[in-house]
Amino acid sequence: MTIEEARFILCAYRPNGSDAGLPAFGDALRMAAADPAVGEWFARSTAFDAAVAGRLRQIEPPAGLREAILAGARASGQQRSLGRGWAWAAGMAAAAALAFVLFSMKTPARPEQGAASFAAFAISDMANAKHGGRGEPAGALIAALEANGARMPGPGQIDFDRLRETGCRTVNFAGRDVLEVCFSRDGALFHLYVARRESPPGDSADNGASFISEAAGAAAAWSDSRFDYAVASKAGVEAIRRLL
Amino acid sequence: MTSESFTQLVDAHYAPLYRFALSLARNGSDAGDLVQQTFFIWATKGHGIRELSKAKSWLFTTLYREFLRGRRRDARSTSLEELPPGGNEPLAHDVDRVSRIDSAAVMSALQSVEEPFRAPLTLFYIEDMSYQEIADALDVPIGTVMSRLSRGKAQLRAAFLRAERPVAKVLPFPGEGGERAS
Repeated sequence: MTIEEARFILCAYRPNGSDAGLPAFGDALRMAAADPAVGEWFARSTAFDAAVAGRLRQIEPPAGLREAILAGARASGQQRSLGRGWAWAAGMAAAAALAFVLFSMKTPARPEQGAASFAAFAISDMANAKHGGRGEPAGALIAALEANGARMPGPGQIDFDRLRETGCRTVNFAGRDVLEVCFSRDGALFHLYVARRESPPGDSADNGASFISEAAGAAAAWSDSRFDYAVASKAGVEAIRRLL
Repeated sequence: MTSESFTQLVDAHYAPLYRFALSLARNGSDAGDLVQQTFFIWATKGHGIRELSKAKSWLFTTLYREFLRGRRRDARSTSLEELPPGGNEPLAHDVDRVSRIDSAAVMSALQSVEEPFRAPLTLFYIEDMSYQEIADALDVPIGTVMSRLSRGKAQLRAAFLRAERPVAKVLPFPGEGGERAS
């Protein structure tokens, strides 16, 4: 076995050592033990693999994904009893739609889950955000958001209908119209999403913000008496926290 | 399969499946869709699998096939023969680089690896799968797995190196109020 062959095989050796007893690695491991150059390369390679694996395992799935999977499966189970063919195809579509809605919608029983879903939606939508909406009153809102030290807007600063009519981007989240406004603060770009609040009976407004962080960015979501808000950015959770 | 067993299956595997999907699809929204689609297929077809020990491999295989099916719809695939050979020399700096950056940046580097190498590399790192398990999950020969791991790691190290290169400093243009560059 040559040094190159040993290195090639050891690339598939798992850093936790579970492959130590496998015959396929025997010769290569013996070479790593006998040849200091190969041994040093192997130590560096294993350390690199362990570091990468550790970092990747820190990534958490978005809030609401588990519930969406379970709801989709429940729906598909109900549809299967209708038989195959068109009914089955319809079941697939219904289950996928239900899963998506449940993944996205605000859950009345657990407001913090709805906030997390809205925040996840904001991160996902951020990739499609367009910069516009400079007419009044969008311009005034953007100017207020970009002022140093300004807090996120309260219900008195949002005229939802006028904002929608004057150029703000409007998107759909779980069947609700959501306004999106881009603004900059301290060199970072943020995207504010505002939806009219659909308050369930007994649900209190002004809950604390829910934060989530994903590979694509971070977001926070919160509510007041009239609106649900989410703000998303690639600048990270701490940059968002400073806005609130 | 009972509803309780299905919930246990989801709890055991949805997070690593999401990480695998995120490395393949390169965005959280599509990754979430892939995971949901995978469990949906399990719920409609995969429940016939009796041995739960095989469920993990089945889920990863199915997610990968769903990803490839979607990719074939809207993108041309990369020929392996066109890909550049990878170097195979991890340096001490490589470990330091990974230690300095957060998990999102590591995922971003992984996402920049060519797809044929990215899938086995992700299963190796995220699920701690052996080369044999990866070969089974992706339905490729063992030698191919080893080759793709080797070349994938080389591309990953190159991605970390690119990410760390300092951005050129922007100096103010003379006459615009900034200091003159000397």
